[in-house]
Formats: sequence, structure tokens, C-alpha cells
Amino acid sequence: MSAVTAVIEASGLVKRYGRTLALDGLDLTVHRGEVHGYLGPNGAGKSTTIRILLGLARATSGRVSVLGADPWREAPRLHRRIASIPGDVALWPALSGGETIDLLVRLRGGDVRADAYRRRRAALIDTFRFDPSKAAGTYSKGNRQKVALLAALAHPADLYVFDEPTSGLDPLMEGVFLKEVGVLAHGGATVLLSSHLLGEVERLCDRVSILRAGRVVESGTLDELRHLTRTAVSFDRGHLTEADLRRIPGAHGVVLAEGRVSLALDSDAVAAVLPALGSLGVTGLRVAPPSLEDLFLRHYGDEVPA
Amino acid sequence: MVWVLLRFRLRRDRLQLAIWTVALFALLLITASAMASTFPTAADRAGVLRIALVTPALLVLRGAPQGPGLGGITVFEIAAFQALLVGLMSTFLVVRNTRAEEDRGTADTLAATAAGRTLPSVAALLEAVVANVLAAAASALGLLAGGLPAGGSIVFGAALGAAGCAFAGLGLLVAQVAPASRPANGWCAALVLAAYALRGIGDATGTARPATLTLTPAWPSLLSPIGWVQATRPYASDDLRPALVALAVGAVAGAAALAVLRIRDLGAGLLPQRALRPAASPLLRGPIGLAARLQRGSALGWGVGALLLGLLGGDLADLVLRQLGNDPAVSRIIVRLAGGSTGLVDGFIGVIGAFVGVLAAAGAVQGAIRLRQEEAAGGADQVLSGAVGRVRWLLSVLLVAGTSAAAALVVAGLAAGAIAVTVRPDGAAGGFGAWFGTMVWQLPAVLVLLGLVALVFALVPRATVPVGWFLLVAAAFLGEFGTLLDLPAWLRELAPFTHSPAVALRDPSYAGAAWMTVIAVVTVGLAALVLRRRDTVP
Repeated sequence: MSAVTAVIEASGLVKRYGRTLALDGLDLTVHRGEVHGYLGPNGAGKSTTIRILLGLARATSGRVSVLGADPWREAPRLHRRIASIPGDVALWPALSGGETIDLLVRLRGGDVRADAYRRRRAALIDTFRFDPSKAAGTYSKGNRQKVALLAALAHPADLYVFDEPTSGLDPLMEGVFLKEVGVLAHGGATVLLSSHLLGEVERLCDRVSILRAGRVVESGTLDELRHLTRTAVSFDRGHLTEADLRRIPGAHGVVLAEGRVSLALDSDAVAAVLPALGSLGVTGLRVAPPSLEDLFLRHYGDEVPA
Repeated sequence: MVWVLLRFRLRRDRLQLAIWTVALFALLLITASAMASTFPTAADRAGVLRIALVTPALLVLRGAPQGPGLGGITVFEIAAFQALLVGLMSTFLVVRNTRAEEDRGTADTLAATAAGRTLPSVAALLEAVVANVLAAAASALGLLAGGLPAGGSIVFGAALGAAGCAFAGLGLLVAQVAPASRPANGWCAALVLAAYALRGIGDATGTARPATLTLTPAWPSLLSPIGWVQATRPYASDDLRPALVALAVGAVAGAAALAVLRIRDLGAGLLPQRALRPAASPLLRGPIGLAARLQRGSALGWGVGALLLGLLGGDLADLVLRQLGNDPAVSRIIVRLAGGSTGLVDGFIGVIGAFVGVLAAAGAVQGAIRLRQEEAAGGADQVLSGAVGRVRWLLSVLLVAGTSAAAALVVAGLAAGAIAVTVRPDGAAGGFGAWFGTMVWQLPAVLVLLGLVALVFALVPRATVPVGWFLLVAAAFLGEFGTLLDLPAWLRELAPFTHSPAVALRDPSYAGAAWMTVIAVVTVGLAALVLRRRDTVP
């Protein structure tokens, strides 16, 4: 089935840089029309994967297909249908931001004189509060990022590949960008969103793959992965007995320490559990939504000193 | 604090400084020994200098004669060229440690520490002083090792180091004004070349003293740091006062630069950035348009240089002819200096043609080196993330580099030919076709260098920049000085310029040009094949 609907299909990808193993048998499937979150900390191999998907680097071994073609051999043809934002946005210092956007769109085969493009570009420049007439060499990190975002968003594509697209953006602009990605998703585009910001991914993505040391260790819909993102709940123990605590439905890993009770709840079950906590009359209740840390600690906990 | 910065930079630049030091040493050692073996007796040397004194082209390209001693003729031969190299070394070093760091953002990191905004520039100047002390010692040792007396050798080294310090100060001043590091480097190169040209004009229009075989340069030489090196007259009067002038100029320029640094922002030159087009012009539409946009500044610079050299050559041909044309003995030596052509004017056209060829090749090499710079900076990935394959990108950059080099040759050929037939309508200073053809037929040699740099880029990307410039300097040195230094034929013939057709001759051979074109095509083809199979590497 995936052969029919898969936009990105990689299996057993290995990439070596000299003696460094950047990818170690990576499998990744992204279906048509989904927003796919690609999660992992720095150095896990996110950018290497994306460079291979874009045909900028060649896999040492393994198979990869993007939009039904081999990206290494057919990059130019494929790139007419792909919009990408690199992890490290490099611009030509002497070109203005506006010139760069037009050039990047033209390099993808877009017509910068078309009315649709000009309207879209003007609207994006306005939304992102961007000054296109400055030399790219004088832009701040956030503004450099905007050049890449605008070039990717201004011309339609079948597949969007974003490598940590919001790095350097202020929270306001991050919100604007995520809204634009939502619009793309609504329009049926396929998006691969690499990030280490769980909130960003959770808000937008239908499916998520988690990368560790060059392998995908978890992959699935957010619902499927919900067990990874439990909500941490704690409250004062007070007079509660262990029997009371056992009556809390769906509680995982109950710990008693320093007069407090700590436990984890499946994130979608929190609301259902609150009445039970209320009937126990707990005090000092603290509910911490699942964070990137919680998710990562499951997979990376052994690397963090206790 | 400043010592911490200086130590850090010396550590980072140690390989580069070592290469410069060894190269400067070797250049003087080779020149001094070659002079001793080519012109062993004072009579030999007097013969050459007698001709040089009345040949403006030689005075422009070499220097002011300093008498028939072995030291004197060595200084005449190489001093200006060596000072040119030291000038480029010093100015580029200063720009690299100031504006280039500002463009990269590392200057902000330093400025945020206790080093502040000024100390990194002070450290850059100090590093330039260290580099010039090394250059001075290497030069003096090179001359000593070549068998020349200690006194003059030390004076020459000191004068050279002082000139380098002057260039470092002036370079730092230029760096304050230019809008970014790349233009700053271009302006610095122009400054050093202008110093060379100013000295050339002063020497060519100076007062010759045939009795002592010396020449007192006219005033333009006295405005040039390269002229000050000559003015110390090593092995003759050993006068260190001009070197003190150079040091004073360097100190004043450096202090002025530091004063400007106090009133400008980091990352911005004194000249404000003008607003750019908010949208791309129709020309900026693909990899060729981008390459043209990125290379246009430097291409324009090399084009102007070629134009000036062409005008100078065409104009001087008449003088050469008038002053020397009737003396067969003189003609023979000039022809030898010119590289073995048959006639006086033909030989002269060949010399100027090869110089223009080197200039155009420098532009082409700089353009091809862009491949690596674009790859390292990430611009190549941006292009390759569009609907552009690696081979098309490679060929686009090379096409623009080759075309601008060809344009420089055409401009120089047109200028030289037009001037030559204007000053001598009878065609005695060389016909339009001879001038134009000689220059334009340098193109195959230029393309060989272009192809070699492309191949190096494909095979060993990280070596592209140093190896590219090394190939150019080696080709220029072997081509320009190979005959005069009596280097073995196989070594000379490694330089592509020695195979350019001598179009000015009655029956020129185009076989070399054909072979070089084949080599250029093959190297570019190989580069494309290799690049198709490798990743872009940061």
C-alpha cells in the first residue's frame, strides 16, 4: 500500500563520512498529503537524511525514493516539485533578500512574473514583515531564515522539506509560519518537518518519526505515539492512602517522595482523571504537559547523567 | 589580551605564513642564482642594463636599473615583483582578520569579550608585522643563499618588510571604508597593483644615467611603497631612509584606520550600503545569471587591468621600435628577454601578450575558485536544491569565468591594436591583427588553467583555493621568467603560456593552442564526471 501513496520511501539508509556513521540503517516512510514530523536532537542525522532526500548527498547504501524517483540521479527534475528550507540558511551577501527569493523560485522552475506568484509574494512579505531591498549580508539570523521561508512558500510544490524551519524566528513569526504550514497541509501538500521542538511538531503533524543515532526508533501517528508523551501530574500526599492512589484510573509509575505523589497520565486521559483527583480532594496539584524532554528521555535517558 | 588574539591568529595562519615565507625565500634564491649563471660577467650584465635603460616596457615590468653588479641586476629583475607579492600578502591578511571575520560574524563574538572592537584589528596589524618580519628575513636569506653580499641583502629584506607594513596599514584603512570583505580584497588588490603601476610609470619616465647604468625614477615612483623598496638601492647606496618612510606611512594609516573603527559599526563599512532591488531582474534567472552576478565585480576589475595593460603595450611598442630598431645586437638581446621570438616588435608583442594572458588567467582562476567558495558557504546547495544538476552548475560557473577572461583578452587586444596602429599607421609597431591575435590566442592557455582548477575542485575540493592560486603563480612565473632564468625546457613548457601561438610571426603554429583546447575540454569533462559522483562538502 505504501508503494502507492508514499511520497518519501527510504529503507536501510546508511551514510558514512569517513569513519563517522551518520545514518545507520534508517527507514522512513512519508505518505502523500501528510505532515510528517521528523524529530531528533542535534547530531542524530536529521540534516543528513534531508540532504540525501534532496540529492545533495548520496547514501552509502540503502534505497531511497522521493516522489517515485531516485533523488541522487534525478534531483533537477524532482526539485521542480519540491520546496525546501536548509538547516543552515546560506545566502549570497551581495544579493538583496527579494532578489534571492525570486532567484530561488526561478531555480525551481517558477515564473516570477506570473500574477499568482507576485500576489503571493507580496502577501507573504507583508505577513512576515520582511524588507526585501536589503543586502542579504546585512540580515539578522531571523531575517535570513525568512528569505528561505518565503522562497519555499511563495511557489507551490508537491512536497515541502523543512529542516528546523523556525530556528532564529521570534515566537510571533514562528506562529505565522506554522499557520502557513497548516494552510499547506489543508491544501493537500506533503510536508516533512524536521525539528527538535515538540510543540511545533505536535501542533502540526499527522505522523512523527523519532530519530536516534542514525536510526528511526519510533514512527507512527501522534495517537499511536501518545504513550510516549505522558503528562506528569503531582500533588501533596496529605492523608491519602496507597489504596486511594490505586483508585486513580490510568496512572503510570506512581512515586511517593518528600510528601508528594508523582505519576504519569496518558495525555488524552488527563481530563477524564481530574474528577477522580477532585473526589480525593488533592492539594498542591501540578499538571505538566508532556515536553520534548519527556519524549526524549524515553529514548535518550541513558545518555543523560542521572 | 592583544597577545592572546595574536597567538591565536598566528596559530591559525601558521601554514599560510610558512608557505609565504618559503615562497619568498625561494623566489629570491632562484632569481639570484639564475642571474649569476645567465649573466656571469659584469660585461654581460652591462649589456642587458644598457638596453633596459632605453626600453620603457622593461622598466615598467621589471624596475629601475641599479648598476651592473650582481646584486643590482637581481634587484632590478625581481624587487618590484617581490614587493607586489608582499603587498598582496599583507593587505589580504589584514582584510581576512578584520572585515572577513565581521562578515562571518566571528568578529561580534570577539567584540563581546574584553577584547572589544579595536583590539582584534590591532592584533591583525601586529600579525601583519610578524608576517613581514618573516618575509624580510626570508628575502634577505634568499639573497644571501644566492651568493650576494650581506649588507645589501639585509637592506633589501628590511625595505621589503617595511613596504609590507605600509601596505598592511593602508589595507586596514581600505577595510574600514569598503562595504564588505570581498570588495575590500578587490580594492586592496587594486591598491597594490596601482602601487606597482605608479612605480612602473615613474621608472619608465625617469632619468637614465648610461655611464653608471643606473636610473633615477621620476616622482611617481616616490609615491609608491614598491618604489620605496627600490629607493633604498640595495648593494649600491644601502639607504634605509625610504624604509623608514614606509614604516611611518604604515603606522599613520593603521592609526587612521583604528580611528575610523571607532566611528563605524562592526560589519558595515564607512560607505553606507545602498538599497538594492527588491526583486530580481530578468537576468538573474538561473545558475548562469547567478554566476555572472557574483563574478561581475572581479571580472570588471580584471577587464580594466587588461585594458590598461593593452593600452600601455600598444603605446610602448612605438618607443621600443624607435629607440632600438636599428641596432641588431640590441634586438637580439631584447628578443631573448622576450622569450625567443624572431623580431623586435614581434617579441615585444609576445611579452605583453603573455602578461595580458596571465591577467586574464588570474580572473578565470578566481572565477573557478568560486566553485569551492560557493560550495563551502552553502550557496551551491541552495542552487542544487533547485532544478539544477551538479554538472549544469559547474559548467555555468566555468562558462562565466571563461567568458569574462575571454572578454578581458578581447578588450586588451582591441586596445593594444588600436593604439599601435594609431601611433604608427604604417604598421611598424605591429599591425592590428598581430596585437589582437596575440592576445586573443592566449585563451587556450587561460582555459587550461580554468580546467585544471575545476578538476582540482572536483577531486580535492578543500584544496581548490590554495592549489588554484599556486597553479596560476607557477604558470605565470615559468611563462614570464622561464626563458630569462634559463630554466630547463621541460619545466618552462609546463606553463601553458609558452604554448600560445606567436600570432605576430609570419607563420605561427597553432598546434599548441589546439592541444591546450583539448586539455581544457578533457579536464572540464573529467571534473563534471567526478562531481556527478560526489556529495557537496562543507
